Amino acid sequence: MGVLIVLAVLIVLGIVAAVVVVGMYNGLVHKRNAVDNAWAQIDVQCKRRHDLIPNLVETVKGYATHERATFESVTAARTAAVNAQGPVAQAQAENALTAALRSVFAVAEAYPQLQASRNFSELQGELSDTENRIAYSRQYYNDAVLTFNTAAQTVPTNIVAGTFGFEIREFFTAPDSERGAVRVQF
Amino acid sequence: MAAVLAAALGVLAWLGLLAVLMRATRTPGIPHTPPTGEFGAESPALVDFLTGGFKLCDEAASATVLDLAARRIVAIEEIGPELSLVRLRSDADADSLNTYERMVFDHVSRLATTDRVVATGALAEGARHLGRWWKNFAKAVRDEARAAGLSEARWTATHRSVLSIGAAVPAVLIGVVLAVFEHGADSDPIGAFLAGSVITWAALVFLQEKVNDERGTLAGARAAGHWFGVQEHLANGRFADQPAAGVTIWGRGLAYAAALGLADRAVVSLPISTPADDGRAWSDYGGMWHLVHVEYRGRGPWGRFVWGRSPGDAVKTGLKAAMVCASPILVLSILATAILGHPDNPITFAIFVTILVAAVPCGLAALDSSSPSTVRGQVIRARAFAQGRNDGYRYWVGVDDGKATRIHAYGVDVQTWNGLAEGDEIEARAGRWLGWMSDVRVVSPSRHRGNPIPADEVTD
Repeated sequence: MGVLIVLAVLIVLGIVAAVVVVGMYNGLVHKRNAVDNAWAQIDVQCKRRHDLIPNLVETVKGYATHERATFESVTAARTAAVNAQGPVAQAQAENALTAALRSVFAVAEAYPQLQASRNFSELQGELSDTENRIAYSRQYYNDAVLTFNTAAQTVPTNIVAGTFGFEIREFFTAPDSERGAVRVQF
Repeated sequence: MAAVLAAALGVLAWLGLLAVLMRATRTPGIPHTPPTGEFGAESPALVDFLTGGFKLCDEAASATVLDLAARRIVAIEEIGPELSLVRLRSDADADSLNTYERMVFDHVSRLATTDRVVATGALAEGARHLGRWWKNFAKAVRDEARAAGLSEARWTATHRSVLSIGAAVPAVLIGVVLAVFEHGADSDPIGAFLAGSVITWAALVFLQEKVNDERGTLAGARAAGHWFGVQEHLANGRFADQPAAGVTIWGRGLAYAAALGLADRAVVSLPISTPADDGRAWSDYGGMWHLVHVEYRGRGPWGRFVWGRSPGDAVKTGLKAAMVCASPILVLSILATAILGHPDNPITFAIFVTILVAAVPCGLAALDSSSPSTVRGQVIRARAFAQGRNDGYRYWVGVDDGKATRIHAYGVDVQTWNGLAEGDEIEARAGRWLGWMSDVRVVSPSRHRGNPIPADEVTD
């Protein structure tokens, strides 16, 4: 009789433990999916920006033919951003691309006809909006990463995370100039 | 007795007249229209009004935001399942907007940061007095309906005159009854007559105006019938699960679906006519909208009792708690000694625990008084909550310092609370343990928000 009671208690404890582990596992999966979803949003916005840049370069080239070095640096930065893999590398490449774009818009200021071009101003506005969307996507992604990493590193979820191979995610870091108040101005 | 009977008959006759006129002025029957996908010229807010029994429902303002997005005045962009943005378009033609569309557009514009963006969840924030804003919004929609001949007030001038003059009859009769039954040494039949007559007349006129709601005209009933046909058509479109950003694909269809009560998810995600939540605040501190959870208590077991209190108040609370707890602690100690054999000396133990109850708040007060920290950030919530039945209010200020997504609101005195507005950037001294804020200095005033309810207007 005593053995049966012990066995029953062990079975109940086993079921409770299994339910808790399943709950933690599912929670981690939800959080990981939220991170993946947020990353996909950044990816979409970055791709949109990459697609706009060739048009921008062509438009500026039409007016500022002597700024070859600037165009080459933007093209190189874009290529690096397109090929970057993972949040840290992508963040660095995107930050470099932002800096290169700033130099293009700085060059453009010396060409009044370019400034007056409707195509150029539309591209500038579109890039500015995309940059802003990237900033919000980054904030959203980093919040999701923080939530996931906190769950994966705190007791007792870290045991489940370790057992089932949940790895902590990297943050998408903002450029230094964008820490604090975000002002997207090209 | 005859006077009482006459007065009762007079009141009944007037109520009968009211009922007859109400029946005569009811909205004409709304014709059934087969399902149709043809949108009429009416705006989504007006459609909400027509199909809501000629009353505006809560969805109207959210549907208007969706309509502005469909017409490319603003854009709604989804960043993630829990974050969408309303972006003011730089090429938007806001001059074509009517009064209530302009109200919505202005609200969004005021909230928008320098990059012309506001998070959809943040639409509940802002300086406006929501009740007044909604009343003006509803009035503007109603005025458009009246101008288009779709609705009108129930009572015309003639109805009103007939009812008001008619109300004088039962009023006079009731005045007579009161004068007749006025007895005694200090009786004043004339005063009783006048008081009874005036009060009765005022009550009947009040009732008459109370039922003077909006009624649909024949054209309004036809338009409502058409839109019910559209509702039937859109009901097959599965708009209920569409996010607000779905307007990019569905256009005005989603806006009309929202107005017709078919797009719950989109409506809920655009809380423009909803009061701002006490515990979930949207902050634009740092230049980007983000959600901050605000708690009105501190950490740990003491957080519930002493957080948000001034050091002096915390000491008083500690002493009061010690006095209240002393007897139960003593009884429990004696019981524990009798049953478990511990503690050895229940009286000494009870005194020790009671002193501890009083000492912890006193210790926290001493810590906070000796080493307050400096807080700098944006006021995202200013709230006053009643404490107990007759203990007045406690005043709270939630400050977003840009470092955490979950914060504990600080307690302040009423003068400080009155001087702050949501959106103000402040610098203040705050205690880490008691959460009491003092020496508050407004670094930069609120850009777009205001304290929703002045302290002297706070009611239960």
